[in-house]
Amino acid sequence: MTISKIPASGFSDAVNFRNIVINGDMRIAQRGTSASSVTSTSYNTCDRWNNFISSLGTWTVTQSTVVPTGQGFSNSLKMDCTTADGSPASNDVNILIQRFEGQNVQHLKKGTSSAESLTLSFWVRSAKTGTYTCEIYDADNVRYIGKTYTINVADTWEKKILTFDGDTTGTLDNDNANSLNVHFWLGAGSDFTGGTFNNGTWGAGGNNTRVSSSNVNLADSTSNDWYVTGIQLELGTTASEFEFLPVDVNLQRCMRYYNEINETNNSTTFIAGALDGNNGTGIAPYQFPVSMRAAPTVTYTGSFNCYVASSGTNKTDLGIQAGTRGLRTLASSVTGSTGQAVHMDFASGAKIHLSAEL
Amino acid sequence: MNKENITSVEKLYYKTNFYAYRVLTGEQIHTVPLDEANTDYQEIQQWIADGGTVIDNSPE
Repeated sequence: MTISKIPASGFSDAVNFRNIVINGDMRIAQRGTSASSVTSTSYNTCDRWNNFISSLGTWTVTQSTVVPTGQGFSNSLKMDCTTADGSPASNDVNILIQRFEGQNVQHLKKGTSSAESLTLSFWVRSAKTGTYTCEIYDADNVRYIGKTYTINVADTWEKKILTFDGDTTGTLDNDNANSLNVHFWLGAGSDFTGGTFNNGTWGAGGNNTRVSSSNVNLADSTSNDWYVTGIQLELGTTASEFEFLPVDVNLQRCMRYYNEINETNNSTTFIAGALDGNNGTGIAPYQFPVSMRAAPTVTYTGSFNCYVASSGTNKTDLGIQAGTRGLRTLASSVTGSTGQAVHMDFASGAKIHLSAEL
Repeated sequence: MNKENITSVEKLYYKTNFYAYRVLTGEQIHTVPLDEANTDYQEIQQWIADGGTVIDNSPE
């Protein structure tokens, strides 16, 4: 082995799945590439990223192709202010959040004397220069640590690296529920900025210590936008190179929390099953491509045609029983005999959305 | 789903088995399974605790 094969960054870059963040490069956007008129808390465009918004501006959220040059990224997440709010009420917020399952962050050893430091790195650009706050939030124990970063030059990509001390207080539950979050604060009212900022120190002293009083209000002008990509949260006090995962791996990780059936509006998509009872219920099972975090909430758009032999009945009121590994659709009052094969055809544009987000 | 956005909640049955909630939020209908780890299920429990009434057309 020649010494030249050791990367300049050492061996830390060789640790697989070192990035706690999922879809940090914003490649996966199962819900679509653009969402407009966003004014409240919701998942939009890039998978796993939650817009936590309360009465602070109106936004178009986009999976953008504007990326830092020469870094290997294809996409970023863009927040574009379309209706301004220059005077946030005290409890107004705008945060970009990713939440992590407790069982995926046990290696942080949080709440022990061996608690690990965390380093957050990301690329960011904005038309609005100034101070922004990033925060690691412990949802199990309601503890948090914040640090600020500065956007120095408008409309220019900048790489930011923030290191957070380990927390020797408050262990994280070892389960599939929300335990730890990363927060990018894009604006906040005085309920969050009014105290003495808990800068770089874990605490639980009250919401008003969580955000720097210097934090920008990204909602104060419709000229404002904010892009981010290459988000990586990893153990230790140094930032390694961004860990690019194959798209299929990235997609499967996202599908644990959200996926769609008939996502490409393929008119040949159908789910097959059998009729339970004479003129009874058409039951058709479907196995998810990835086991989901929890049994998902099912939302469907469009309608479905339930066929027995060549006779179809249009259904807009499907019952759906869902577990973590699959579901079955229940179409009531279908003409036919018990045991006859049925198949559920997706009408044009019909989709089933499965959400087990944190 | 936020409890503030919930318009109505109805129990869903297959035969006599209660298997999910049907939830109306705005113009969207969601089927929420009976899984305590589902965050929408948690919101429904909060909505009920706040005084929301669940429609129950039990087949029995």
